[in-house]
Amino acid sequence: MRFPGTRALDSVTVDFRFDEVHGVIGENGAGKSTLMNVLSGSLAPTSGRISIEDRELKLSSPRQALSCGIAYVSQEGSLVPGLNGAENILLGAEPKLARGLIDTAALHRRARELTTDWFPQVEIDLRQPVGSLPMADQKVVEIIRALRANMRLLILDEPTASLPSREKERLWDIIRSLPKRGIGVVLISHFLSEVKGLSDRITVLRDGQHVGTLAAAEVTEQQLVDLMLRRTGDTPQARAFEAGNGALGDTVLSAKDWHVGNVVVPSFEMRAGEIVGLIGLTGAGHFEFARSLYTRSGVVRGHCEVGGRTVTSRSARAMQRQGIAFIPDRRMENALIGEWDLRENLAMVHPEHAAMGRSGILKRRTEAVEANRIKKLLNVKASSQYQLLKNLSGGNKQKVSIGKWLYGARERYRLMIFVQPTEGVDIGAKLEIHAHMRRLAERGVAILIASSDLLEVEIVANRAVAFVDGRPVEEIPRERFSESAFISAISGSRQ
Amino acid sequence: MNTDAETTVASGDVRTGLIQKEWLQKYSTLLVLILLFVVFSLTVDRFLTAFNLLNIIQQISMLTIVGVGLTFGFAAKEIDLSVGFTVGLSAILVPLLLTMGVTLPVALAAGLGAGIIVGLVNAALVTSVGVPSLIATLATGSIIYGINFLTTEGRAIYGGLPDAYLWMGQGRIAGIPALAFFMFACVLVAWFLMEKTVFGRYLYAVGGNLKAAELSGVNVKAFRAAALVACSLFAVIAGALLAARLGSGQPNAGERYLLDGLATVFIGMTMFRPGMATVKGTFCGALFIGIVNNGLNLIGMDTYIQSIVKGVIILIAVAIVSRTTKLRLL
Repeated sequence: MRFPGTRALDSVTVDFRFDEVHGVIGENGAGKSTLMNVLSGSLAPTSGRISIEDRELKLSSPRQALSCGIAYVSQEGSLVPGLNGAENILLGAEPKLARGLIDTAALHRRARELTTDWFPQVEIDLRQPVGSLPMADQKVVEIIRALRANMRLLILDEPTASLPSREKERLWDIIRSLPKRGIGVVLISHFLSEVKGLSDRITVLRDGQHVGTLAAAEVTEQQLVDLMLRRTGDTPQARAFEAGNGALGDTVLSAKDWHVGNVVVPSFEMRAGEIVGLIGLTGAGHFEFARSLYTRSGVVRGHCEVGGRTVTSRSARAMQRQGIAFIPDRRMENALIGEWDLRENLAMVHPEHAAMGRSGILKRRTEAVEANRIKKLLNVKASSQYQLLKNLSGGNKQKVSIGKWLYGARERYRLMIFVQPTEGVDIGAKLEIHAHMRRLAERGVAILIASSDLLEVEIVANRAVAFVDGRPVEEIPRERFSESAFISAISGSRQ
Repeated sequence: MNTDAETTVASGDVRTGLIQKEWLQKYSTLLVLILLFVVFSLTVDRFLTAFNLLNIIQQISMLTIVGVGLTFGFAAKEIDLSVGFTVGLSAILVPLLLTMGVTLPVALAAGLGAGIIVGLVNAALVTSVGVPSLIATLATGSIIYGINFLTTEGRAIYGGLPDAYLWMGQGRIAGIPALAFFMFACVLVAWFLMEKTVFGRYLYAVGGNLKAAELSGVNVKAFRAAALVACSLFAVIAGALLAARLGSGQPNAGERYLLDGLATVFIGMTMFRPGMATVKGTFCGALFIGIVNNGLNLIGMDTYIQSIVKGVIILIAVAIVSRTTKLRLL
């Protein structure tokens, strides 16, 4: 199977058992998604075969995979948010009365039976529209739906990616319980500790190759990282950590009496060359605050100065002129155009860089040169700058999302706001992105990161600000950085 | 070993296959178009003559201009269902002013002005009120239709049109219809704007991902408005030329341009950059329709059958577009 210019999976042989949780790890682009797409029938392999109990399967559609007992639960989920839990669980298999009407009573009974049968420990209100359920419950509903038919193998793609940490554990219990009942689980996740903790065996992929399948109990997380990255010992991560403290410059951002929605920030300052990480649990308001500094949406009132000048305008262009860049989360929704090529995506913010004078007429050559510069600078892996963005891996997409603000920018940005900068990004690209943030900071750019990845903030920031219930409650300088300090700060338990 | 489920995925060299597939996606419609042209040339008398080919160009010129306008709309993911009636609006407004003794430049300027007004009204409904363009323009189209028939009482406007005006629709330069020059001018200007300028880039950005464009600093409202104004503007140009060609202003003359215009865009979206409306794609789409119509005409095919054939072609084009991308307009 190939994607343009790269081989997505090459001669990979994996066996999955019905009595195990089988973790699959690898950087973005290593071939995890391709393998899962092949297993779940949405992608036909160029060559190769899939068999269950020595019976060869022809999987040409997800439907067929389902009928062979293989179910796939995607990262984004495929529930209908407006329908309630029971309706979602039995979607397409509703019990019918005569004349095709849905037997609502039977529907709820059946859904409840399925739920208690599979997960007696779980309590979910199946009469709520699933859109209003906690994320973990939504996943559970989706898993129950997958299990309603005779499933043998359940593929879970990043099941906990969007879950707040306290909800993750509930899902872990559920995942662990499945192999005991003869359902094999294939678990794909970026969270190594999670994969290691849940899996019986772990398959490592790298660049489309099968690196190995190991017993989870016999490897350490560091060994897994090394296998994924083909690196040993001195990790760039460690080096980035050392590069911590440069001298800080003048105040770049100063926000006072900032009210956005229910979030109130009495005072917040950032200096040139500083990297500040905003941390908090889901709903703590750190994302809203970071976004609002650029988008101004939902800002009730507040005073904001950038480089000593008061910012009054609300338009994105005006923010750019003040020197503020914004790299949003959920890049495919908020930042990129899948049908565009790499070059066009990079040129989205400042296409005028390649224009002749102020005419607005674009020069292809100038554009190509600049796009290539950014592609090299951020080490975007693509066959060429004309490759369509949708064919890139997550890490490379994120690099493009950042590159948009470097293309033709000529150092104009002095504050760059990142929301979830490495969401769904593999470790290799993550390290590169962190290293690049460092480089930007060394050149005097102030970098604000709102992230749910505490480790990321720990690695890259000079200072962390913890949010609880819409308020910044604690400021942690780099000297006091530790996982436990972060966790106690965001959970509001001050020492 | 307890191997219950096993999967082996191997890859041979499929790169050439992939490139072929991509190439086919981009150019298959163009190939069909060329094939069609060759088949008609070989099998239909009088098809491959200079006279007939110029005739085809003339026949598609107004259609192309309307299609080019719609291409701006589609680039920004806006659709204008009022274009047919807007064509009719200028096809009666310009001759009407001329018969009232207004000079040609003023009459033409008034036609363009009317187009801009219609475009701005559509744009205001879409960007300020928040009505999806599909619905807003359906309503304004109905209003324009009513205005067209009220002002003319359903009758054609003819007689007393200046020669210079009639020349625009009927004259020739060195044997080539003047209409062809107007068409190529529109195509060139539109192609340049869409492909070669920052304006075009932003327009496609708005259509490609509204949220991303907005966060990147694009004035999203202005570009959606510009797309809708372009739809109306090209429609009134086509309308003015249409009346000059017919030698009279007819209130219902523009109606067929909506469906055919959309067809040119849809056919165009199957080629070059599948899923995206491009000016060259639209032009090829218009050629496609022009050649099919002309060829079937020469064979002596019933016009109703032509309509069926056209419908089938549109369906095929839309099917291809929807299979390659998400076609989403509401």
